Order: sequence, then structure tokens, then C-alpha cells
Amino acid sequence: MSTDQQDEQGEDDTLVNVADGVDHQVAMVMDLNKCIGCQTCTIACKNLWTEDGGSEYMYWNNVETKPGEGYPRGWEDSGGGWESSEHSDRSPGEIPDEEDYGRAWEFNHEEIMYEGSDEPLRPRDGAEWGPNWDEDQGAGEYPNSYYFYLPRICNHCTHPSCVEACPRSALYKRQEDGIVLVDQDRCRGYRYCVEGCPYKKVYYNTVSKKSEKCIFCYPRIEGEGPEGETFAPACAEECPPQLRLVGFLDDEEGPIHKLVNEYEVALPLHPEFRTQPNVYYIPPFAPGQHTEGGETVDIDRIPRQYLRELFGDGVDEALDTIDAHRQRVRQGGDSELMELLQDKNPAKQYRLEVFDDE
Amino acid sequence: MSRNDLTDDGTDSAGISRRDFVRGLGAASLLGATGLSFADDGMDGLEAVDDPIGNYPYRDWEDLYRDEWDWDSVARSTHSVNCTGSCSWNVYVKDGQVWREEQAGDYPTFDESLPDPNPRGCQKGACYTDYVNADQRVLHPLRRTGERGEGQWERISWDEALTEIADHVIDEVQAGRYDAISGFTPIPAMSPVSFASGSRLVNLLGGVSHSFYDWYSDLPPGQPITWGTQTDNAESADWHNADYIIAWGSNINVTRIPDAKYFLDAGYEGAKRVGIFTDYSQTAIHTDEWLSPHGGSDTALALGMAQTIVDEGLYDEAHLKEQTDMPLLVREDTGKFLRASEVGLAQDADDPEKVFVMVDADGNLRRAPGSLGERDGQHDHSKSIELDFDPQLSVERSVDTDEGSIAVRSVWENLTDELSQYTPEVVHEETGVGENTYQRVAREFAEADAAKIIHGKGVNDWYHNDLGNRAIQLLVTLTGNLGDPGTGLDHYVGQEKIWSFHGWKVLSFPTGNVRGAPTTLWTYFHAGILDNTDPDTAEKIRESIDEGWMPVYPEERNDGNRPDPSTMFVWRGNYFNQAKGNVAVEEQLWPKLDLVVDINFRMDSTAMYSDIVLPAASHYEKYDLSETDMHTYVHPFTPAVEPLGEAKTDWEIFRLLAEKIQERAQERDVEPIEDRKFDRTIDLTTIYDDYVRDWETGEEEGLVEDKAAAEFILEHSEETNPEGSDEQITFDDIDEQPQRFLEAGDHWSSDIKDGEAYVPWQDYVHDKNPWPTFTGRQQYYIDHDWYLELGEELPTHKEGPENTGGDYPLSYNTPHGRWSIHSTWRDDTKMLRLQRGEPVVYLNPEDAQQRGIEDGDTVEVYNDLGSIEVQAKIYPSSEPGTVRHFFSWEKFQYPDRDNFNTLVPMYMKPTQLVQYPEDTGEHLHFFPNYWGPTGVNSDVRVDVRPSGGDSE
Repeated sequence: MSTDQQDEQGEDDTLVNVADGVDHQVAMVMDLNKCIGCQTCTIACKNLWTEDGGSEYMYWNNVETKPGEGYPRGWEDSGGGWESSEHSDRSPGEIPDEEDYGRAWEFNHEEIMYEGSDEPLRPRDGAEWGPNWDEDQGAGEYPNSYYFYLPRICNHCTHPSCVEACPRSALYKRQEDGIVLVDQDRCRGYRYCVEGCPYKKVYYNTVSKKSEKCIFCYPRIEGEGPEGETFAPACAEECPPQLRLVGFLDDEEGPIHKLVNEYEVALPLHPEFRTQPNVYYIPPFAPGQHTEGGETVDIDRIPRQYLRELFGDGVDEALDTIDAHRQRVRQGGDSELMELLQDKNPAKQYRLEVFDDE
Repeated sequence: MSRNDLTDDGTDSAGISRRDFVRGLGAASLLGATGLSFADDGMDGLEAVDDPIGNYPYRDWEDLYRDEWDWDSVARSTHSVNCTGSCSWNVYVKDGQVWREEQAGDYPTFDESLPDPNPRGCQKGACYTDYVNADQRVLHPLRRTGERGEGQWERISWDEALTEIADHVIDEVQAGRYDAISGFTPIPAMSPVSFASGSRLVNLLGGVSHSFYDWYSDLPPGQPITWGTQTDNAESADWHNADYIIAWGSNINVTRIPDAKYFLDAGYEGAKRVGIFTDYSQTAIHTDEWLSPHGGSDTALALGMAQTIVDEGLYDEAHLKEQTDMPLLVREDTGKFLRASEVGLAQDADDPEKVFVMVDADGNLRRAPGSLGERDGQHDHSKSIELDFDPQLSVERSVDTDEGSIAVRSVWENLTDELSQYTPEVVHEETGVGENTYQRVAREFAEADAAKIIHGKGVNDWYHNDLGNRAIQLLVTLTGNLGDPGTGLDHYVGQEKIWSFHGWKVLSFPTGNVRGAPTTLWTYFHAGILDNTDPDTAEKIRESIDEGWMPVYPEERNDGNRPDPSTMFVWRGNYFNQAKGNVAVEEQLWPKLDLVVDINFRMDSTAMYSDIVLPAASHYEKYDLSETDMHTYVHPFTPAVEPLGEAKTDWEIFRLLAEKIQERAQERDVEPIEDRKFDRTIDLTTIYDDYVRDWETGEEEGLVEDKAAAEFILEHSEETNPEGSDEQITFDDIDEQPQRFLEAGDHWSSDIKDGEAYVPWQDYVHDKNPWPTFTGRQQYYIDHDWYLELGEELPTHKEGPENTGGDYPLSYNTPHGRWSIHSTWRDDTKMLRLQRGEPVVYLNPEDAQQRGIEDGDTVEVYNDLGSIEVQAKIYPSSEPGTVRHFFSWEKFQYPDRDNFNTLVPMYMKPTQLVQYPEDTGEHLHFFPNYWGPTGVNSDVRVDVRPSGGDSE
């Protein structure tokens, strides 16, 4: 089929760049203009996959306030990824400290409620840092402060440096959909993958002594489960503002392809890590700044340079494109792009079965 | 087998944790698990992988996760913790335990041009399962053994608990103190059966049912004042229809998570979204323009915008003439409306003294159609406000009356006079908002095809909230933005309204005689406000009670004495924790109560400070209904599992209590007694029979089960079972899929129409029925004596009370936050892990630095009322001088058991204690949750210091 042919042409000649050996690539677009930091995605993921057994501290899906330390703290400066677009040499990375993730606090509910303790309800071992510690903080000064929310999962990269990092070849990228997994049989917990992932989206389980990560909810997208129904990943399905589109990058009729490749408004996070993520972001707008006299002025509230650092140089054009389409619609015109970004058609939101009948 | 079965579950040597115990899984199954080997075989014998990108041969292990994606059954339910999200969820059950939940995502779409209604939900709903099995869960009836609040209990049997309560209640009723028995439970819409369970028993006992909408300051008093209506809002889907939306003090991205998408997506449909917030809030970040008025200055901003609209002629003149009181004449000498009777008009009306006067284009005096004096009560749709003449807006003249010539001016003239004070300089000075900016926003708002204001708690919690409401309402009225898609002022705060009204009402209050209490007045009266407020307010409170405008229970007896309240039942709410004026409530009101019974699934602060706690079924263990005015669907609670431990549904608990009261009353051979206020007999020897009887059909024992009660509501409400129609919504229907209501009853001001989002006010704006006000119009001029005395006959900006809480430099605010629905989930481990694990206060970095405070420090927030110890969190997006303590942490989350409400005093605004017209009150009269004093709390002053500094 056509996408396979394109795959073989190499990344310079094709719009759709799927890894060699991978038939189709799952992908996600997250619209940061709809992320309200509610963390329903975080909870949806946690309840499904990381409730106990050493995974309590893990958030395969997390939402962090930007600018901010993120989860784990300081991940953006922790190294990993590739030295060049040849994808031959990995950049060295660091393994975050336990404290950088924050511990999964346990509390003294029973003592207070049923045993007469006069202590306040508190984390038993204290709390110094957590996965959302700097929520809503951002940067800048009132009234021109700024912040926004950044939801993150594993990027299921086209060139996953975590896979390359594992000396046991216990990480792999699935042929049928490009999902990156840690083989829980084969993994021995060396944590090279944790070090090698520049997004710090592989986590070490100190109880099982293995590494774990986001599995793109493959049992859901495969239609496993008692009713045999296909579901998008829980983080997407449960998102109240429905800011995530889920499908295949190489589904050229799908919205992801259009947003990423045609309109070029959906951008990878930190492209300079060179892993070529398959999660893309619609960059955030913000209201203009205020003068000292309280007047609104048309000056970017979020410094453009900061957005470039996050999403690369494509961010200027992406914002301009969206802005132009908004203006067009405001003046009564039509825009496919504006329709794509609205949640009016669930069948469009999740296109997971397009390649089932090949 | 679960992946996690491979591992130690974290239990310590002490054995099985309580959590494992209540889950019923136990450590045994975890420890006994076998499966994948832990033995590390190193690299030896490892099979080679050529290319892990796309060609990995050893994939059998993947079944590990596939096996976890498995469950035994699914039940439809939702959450009812005083949240008006009304989101339908599927609850997944595995191994007999609730495993997880996920939005059902099957609300039917009624308008393809709007964002899909699914999925509704939030992060809190997504982990309610944790509460079902939590350490906080109340599993058995408990009797207090220590002091209230100490958390020391003895487990007692159901029979023991019910007998103790029943005997107490019998004593009170037989002593004539039935009106010393209070029942507090908030908003019925999100679980009307549970609401009705206790309300029904309290009603049969002759006890007092408490309001909540006014108490929580969710009621916007400006709406009954101006629109004669409690509130009526568009469903949230209608936001998407607006071309211009102002989110004004409504932080929808944290407080309306399921609905936020309609606001967010509207931007891609060409709408402009403006946020008006004192901080760069979580909603402000996703607006196109943010205005940042100083706290409490919203009224000045709104009146400034109104002035721009009036000054530049951007108002909708036809709307003002037909739909508002603007053309009505007001006497210059008294400030009262000119009455038709004074100028010899409307002699055929029932009451010409309540008919108002306009001037037509020829200068003739004309009666204003639809005035109260020619209507049969507040809601009379047989009359019309349609005009057959063209009234003048601007009138300033004299009229001949029996008293001679009297100078009159139209309301419009009075209003434009009032507005003229709000010059750009004044508005900027008061609000800090730029002169050009607010005027431009006013113009844009007026010129938009469909403009809407989403109005929230941020502007409703202030002492002068009625003035603020009226000023902001004025903007939609001036511009004629009412009654059409994408317009209106939608106030979404603790929505009281329930769609299936009649069924709920007769289930909750079968006798039809209700002792409704305005809770703010009840609470503060018994907490000693008369001795703790300014003399003018105290005098007004006394006058309101003496005039019979506002009731206080227990009633004053013939001998002039008034007993103290003695008994309180609290269910579905956390009254004690949420009480503003918390210090006085704890010190003065609480000791008066001889018996406090809390019915709860979790040990919240009210439960902690109760005498008996009864274990209630969780939301996944019972039948009920769920509704909200955020949308137009009804869907159910159904039990996914049996109630844990000894828990029972609310309906069963109150039914059993009724049974025990009847049993004990018969044993004690008590006599029926006559109710001193209503024409009825309180007979405790038949109270169970009365409780379970279907009073509509007379069927004995028709309402034994909670499911029957839910079906009763659906059966007896026109929204779900319209008269003269074959269509009906049954419980089975809603279990299958949420159903859109078939009709909107008389308590709504528009119809529900196929293919359209519900938008209010069409009965008045399109059908020309009189508005349910004194004048039959949107009424911006109130000629009540007290309003005239206070200079509030028109909306005006006033400074709030000074130095509330003491003379301190910072203003203190307790907005609704992201991580809880009021106090529920405040104590939830999963939610706390995504915060800081303890209460935090948001401080501006400058304020913090001046006080030597750094992020993460423990600080005291204090004023004259008290002090609370919390963690400082730096929030650059707050205005310097403001302290933001997202509410509603439980008392036991603070070291000294003081809480966020400790710093909030009791106060009450006299304008909300009135009846209007003074003699009959057909426009404004006390009715629970419709009209009564609001428990406001945003005018508080505090300071902050590092903990361990100066002692108090």
C-alpha cells in the first residue's frame, strides 16, 4: 500500500516519515489551547496502569505547568536523545533522582479519623517535591505573568533513543503500529532506557526491578477486553475538553496528518532531541499583555522565544496559520483547520481502525 | 493474573492493610501469586534481537497488559457530592470490587453544529473508586466517645444507633420542639432521592429544612431582584453559540471542567472570549483578552461599560422599552414608582396601586401593561407586556395627582444619571482597568450578534453581591442579549434547579407544609450575630424577623421565648466545615445542638464533629437520578456493587429511622400533636407508614426502595412524563442511555426544543409574558423603603465593609479550586499527590518576599478572628495584596483544626432580608434557595507571616 512505499523513500522525500520496518505509526495531536490542567488524563492513566506494585510514583501520563520544572523535575536538561539526525550516536543522559519524581505519599487518615490523633492530615514521610508541585506558577510578573499546561506521554518516537540504549534489546517498536514497549520478560532493570530517553518517559520500578512506560493503551486500541470494543488510549478518551486526536500519522485522510503535515500547526516537543516524536502539539496562545495603565496591548504574553525552545522554529508559522484561520472564521468564512480543531465529530477524533482491513 | 500480582503490595510486617481488607482482595492473593520469574538469568542464553525497530520476535509477554484490560461487569453511575457536573460514568467491576470508572460517553447529540456532549467528567470523578474502598470510608454506625472532633468512636449496632436517635427525636417532637430539629442537605438535582430521603422524614416530623443556595452564596440575589427568578441559565452547550463571551469571575476551566470545551472550542468558531478575573486565572490563560480589575470592583467596571454603551447609543432601545422598567415613571419626592392610581389610570385593574405608568410618544400617561396590580400573582401568563404604543425612555416632567403636581422622572433618566458618574477616569481609578480597554470591550460586546456573560462565584461572594449582579445583568439587558441562542447571563454556581421538579418536591415534602429556613439567618442568629454586628444591621435583622419577612426556627413561643435548636441531621453535605463565620458557629451554635447525626460515606469534618455517624452507601452502591442545569439530560445512579461494610443507602437509613421512630412511639404510647403553624397533626406512631406510602397514588409501602423513589420522581414530573403525551422517560430508559428531558416545566422560562440548546427567558422576551417582578418587567429600579434608604434603588458601586476581620493589609479570598468539589476529594490521596499533600495558600511573590516567605514555607494567615497554618505557594499571577486560599480543606487538614472559614466573619446584607412589595412580597419573598440572605465571604482582610514568628 501507498504508505509503505513512502516509508521506503526516506525522510527527505516524503511527507509521512514512518520508521523503517514499521507499517503504520500511531500518533497523537494535543491542542494546548484546550488543556486546562485538570489532569483527568493523568488519573485515567494511573487508575489503569500504575496503581501499585512499585509503580505508584509513576505518571506515564503527566501534565505539567510551563514554564516549570516538569516531571521528573528538570527533565528537559537531563540529556538523552541523539547527537545528530544520523541517529547513530546517542547523547548521554542522566537518571533522575527519586526525589525528582516525588514520592507517592501515604497519609494518616485512619489515625485522625478513627484513632483520635490530633495531628493534621499529612504525608507520612513529609513532602518536598511532587509531580505537580509548581502547578500554576509559570513565570513573569503580574499582570504579565504567563503559564500554560503541557500534557505528556511517551512520544513513541520514530527514532527511539531508549530502544537503542538497551543492551538487552528489551525495548522495541512494534511493527504494526510503532508503539514502543519495554518487554517485561526481558528487561533486567539496567535503566539505560531511563537515561537515554530525553523526555524521561521510561520509569524504573524498584519493586519489580524492571523499567515500565506508557504503552499507548495497546489493549484498548487492539479491541481487547470483554466486549471486544476498540478504545483510544484512556488519556485521550477521558479528556474532558477532548484536546487529543488519536490515529495514525500515515493515515493521510486523518486529521493528524493534516495538522502535522499539511497545515503544519502541530509540532513535536523539543525536536532538537532528534528522536522524532509522534506526539504533536498545537502551540498555545495567550491574551495580550497589560500596560501599567491596565490597557491591553498586542504584545506576546508568552515570550515567542520560549515557545521556540519548546516546539522549534515552526512555532511562528503555526501560530500565524491558526490566527489567520481564526480571523477568517470570525469574518464569516469557512476553515477546514478550525473544524479539525473542534470536537464535533468523535469518529474523526479517533481513527484507529483505518488500516484494519488491509 | 495482574502484572502487579508479581510484586509485593506494600503491606508491612503488621499484615494486611485496611485498604486491602476493605477491597476484599487481601494480601494473600497477592503474595500467593505466581507467574513470570524474577530470577535474573543475566545475558546468558538471551535470544538475539536483530532489529527492535519493527522486528521484535518475543512478543508473547504483551498479554500481561492485555490481561489487565478485563472486567466482569459494568454499571452506569455518577457522583453527587454537591457537584453540578452531572456526568454519566461507567463503573467497571472486577472480582466483586469496583475497579475503575470511565465516562459513559453516550449523551445523545441534539445539535450537530455544537461540540460533542461527550465525555463529561473530571479527574475527581475519575477516581471516585478510591473513596469506595478508602481509609476514610465509614463502615459501621459510630457513636462519639471523645469530644466532638476528636475522632474517638465506638462501633455500635444499627439498632442501637437508630433507637438512640429515635428516642431523642420522639422526646423533642412530643415536647413541641419539632421545629428545633434541622435537616441540612444541599442541592437536590444531583441526587434527588438521597436529598428526599431525609427531607421526607424531617417534613413528617415537622422539622426544619434548610436552604443552601443562598447560604453558600451561590444564589445571585440580583436575579430575583431584577428578573424575579431564582436563576435561569442556558445549558453550557449554548456557550458555543455566542460570538462574544465574557467569563466574569467564573473560573470555568477549574470549576466547570466537563463544560469547558464549549468555551474553548468557541474560539475556533470565531467567537471572542474575554476573561475578567482579578488574577491571571486558569481560565484567563485561554481567553483572547483578559481584564484584571481590583478585587471587589466589578460593579464599577460593569457600570462603566454600561455608561459607554448608553453614552454611545449602543443599546437596544426596543428591548428596553418593552422588556424593562426603563420607561416607568418615578416620583422625585418619594423615590417611589408613580402608581396608576395616583393619576387616575387603570381603575379597572385589581389593584391600581400596583400598576405603573409610562409616557407615550404623544406625551400621554399610559398604564404599563403586565404590572403586578393587574396580574393574578407573580406568574400570570394570561397577561402580556406587549405594547400598543411607543413609550418614551427619557421622561422628566410633572404629573397631576390628587396631591397636586408631582415631579417625575423615568427610570431611564435616573439610571443615566447614575451611570454618568462612571467616567473613564473614575472607572480606571476604581478598577485599574485601562480606560480604552474597558470601553472597547463594552463596544465589542454591544456590537456582537450574540453576546453572553458567564457569571461566577468570583463576583458573587462579595458583600455587595446584589449590586454587582444587577450591574453585570444590566449589560445584557441594555444590549438586548436575552432569550436567543448565544446570549444571556449564565450564572453557574451551585445550581439549585432541578428539572424534574414536581416529583422531587412531593417526594421530599409529602405534607406540603414546609418549614424552610434561610440557613444564613438561622446559622448566624443562633451563632450570636445580633450581638456581633453593627447596630444598623442588627436592627434590620430584628425588623425582618418581626415583620415576618424572614423566618427563624425554632419559632418564638407565645410566652416570648424562643428555644435553641436541638437536633441536626446532615447528609450529602459538610455543613460544619463549610460554615462561614466558623469560629462563632463552633463556639456558639454547635454547643446548642444536643444531637448531631451525620450520614456519610466518608469521615468528613461534620462527621468528625457529630455525635452519631451512620455509614451511607457510596455513589456506586445505590439508585438515584442525576440532573443539572448545565445540560438537559437525566441519567441514573445504579449500584455496581453492594454497600461496603454495614453501609446502607440514604433512603434505607431514613426509612429505617422512620420505622424505629414508629416502633418506639407505639411502645411509648405517644399521642399525636397538633402542629402550631400548619393545619396538620404530627403522628409519630404512623410515621413509617407515611414514609413509605406513595402519597400521590395512596399505595401503601409503595416507596420502600430507593429505586422506587427514583421512579416516583420520573413518573410525577412533567419533564419526564408530560401531560397529554405518550412519551415518558423511565428508569430503564436512562439506565440504557442518558435521556434529554421532554419538556421544561413552569419553573423554567423557555421550552426545551429539538435540535437547540436550552436558552432561558423566551417566555418573556418572545412570548411577552410579564416578567415575575413587581413591574412585570426586568426591574432595575427597586423602590423598597430599605433600598431607597441605602441608596440602592438602582445598581451602584459601593465599597464593601471596611476592615472585615480587622485592619490588615491583604485581601483574603477562598475560590473554588480544581482539586475538589467543595471538601470532597480534598482528603483524597490520589488528588493530594498531585498537589502538595496539605493546604496551600497562593501568594504574590512580592508580598511573600516582603514578609521573608519562600515557596514551601509554613506560614500563618491571620486576622482578628483567628489564625491558620498553611504552606505558602508562590503564584506570580495574583495581584499583589491578595491571598488566595482555594477552599475547602477539611478542619483536620490544619494543625489546630481551624480552617479556611476561621478567618471569615459572620455578615449579612440587609437588602437581602426584605420582602417586596413590602405588604405582599409577590416579587421578593422568602423562599428557600430563591430569596434570602447570602453567606458572603470575600471582603475579608488578613496578613501572613512565617510560622513560628510572632505569637498571637
